[in-house]
Amino acid sequence: MAETPAPVTVTRESVLADLERILLEVVGDDLLMDGPLEMETSFSDDLQLESIEFVALAEELLNTYGEKVDFVTWMSGMELDQVVSLTAGQVVDFVVASLEA
Amino acid sequence: MPYIESNGLKFHVQVLGGGVDDSGAKRPKVVMLHGLVIDNLSSWFYTLGHPMAQQVDAHLVDLRGHGRTEIADSGYHVADHVADLLGLLEAWEIDEPIHFFGNSFGCVVGLALAKQHPEKVASLFLIEAHFSVPGWGEHMAGTLALAAFGLDEVAVREYLATEADRKTSRLAKRTEKLFFGTSLIEDLKTETPIDWLDEIQCPVFAIYGSESDILDRARELEAKVPHCTLEVVENASHSLLIENAALIKSRAFAWLNTHVGTDFVVEHVDVASREGALGTMGAPEAMEVLNQMAAENRHLLDERAVPVRRVV
Repeated sequence: MAETPAPVTVTRESVLADLERILLEVVGDDLLMDGPLEMETSFSDDLQLESIEFVALAEELLNTYGEKVDFVTWMSGMELDQVVSLTAGQVVDFVVASLEA
Repeated sequence: MPYIESNGLKFHVQVLGGGVDDSGAKRPKVVMLHGLVIDNLSSWFYTLGHPMAQQVDAHLVDLRGHGRTEIADSGYHVADHVADLLGLLEAWEIDEPIHFFGNSFGCVVGLALAKQHPEKVASLFLIEAHFSVPGWGEHMAGTLALAAFGLDEVAVREYLATEADRKTSRLAKRTEKLFFGTSLIEDLKTETPIDWLDEIQCPVFAIYGSESDILDRARELEAKVPHCTLEVVENASHSLLIENAALIKSRAFAWLNTHVGTDFVVEHVDVASREGALGTMGAPEAMEVLNQMAAENRHLLDERAVPVRRVV
């Protein structure tokens, strides 16, 4: 697989903004009716993300950041109750760490 | 996002795996179809899809009206699903026999494909296989979910407006749309009972839970399909794939090792252990809510003597 250099401008805040855009694309505008996405926002309790939407989220993260950010493999190492209780901040930290690796 | 046009409809699919192995040879092709109404490809995605994709290409499909695939107004006969699948196989340029994995309703599509196009199916791995027997459509129409929606729609709408969280509400609304906005129920009711199981030539593995409400199908498959191996898992229900994902993975790996030539490590799994980890995600949760709704309408069910069956 091609080695793509990590974008140097990635910050936790920029990844959070990307994540918000992706979630709106995947789920629709009604997702964030209670306020903007924050690091503490839980995918399950706060956003009520459906399992099929997690599939689409994984796909879009791949499209956005490339194969360095292997969200699916990361998730597959967790119990599913851990997956559903993930927060936006945990995903942001994973993305940042993957791109910096 | 991965969408493919087939039979006039845009399908959401996920293809997991690299297409070729390390030596450049094409990898075996697996196609996985999910159950009916509140199921979708995520039940494969989070269980077998990725582990399997280490050695085969796993093709996951959201059936018409399900998941992120378009909801068609009509075309919910088994034959329509087979036509959808044939279009997808063509789009994927798969011309070798596939190894088919089905869950619940998805199994009937695999069986029909194997009957109509035996050259396209190398093997069938069937979890809690549904297929049409006399009266099947009526049973399907009498499911818990339909009973809940059909018998007291006002109460359901009220429940969704006041009680349901976003996830449940969306799943339930989609289910409602599928029931009342499409020909799904009518198509199920007019499905012809299967009388050709003895014509299935490929090897078949069928696995059911001992508490399944369709255990009669297990016995029929075992009796009629020439090359069928049946396993009944003690203390398991129709939600076998979700409740016993590790067990199913171990059986699937063993099946692929035998029929595909893979070399997956097959771990021993205690059949008594249920994981239930998916219980907080998607379809299983929706089923729980729909069960609750149906329970509240049970007196109406009793009055109309509607048979209570599960479809997913």
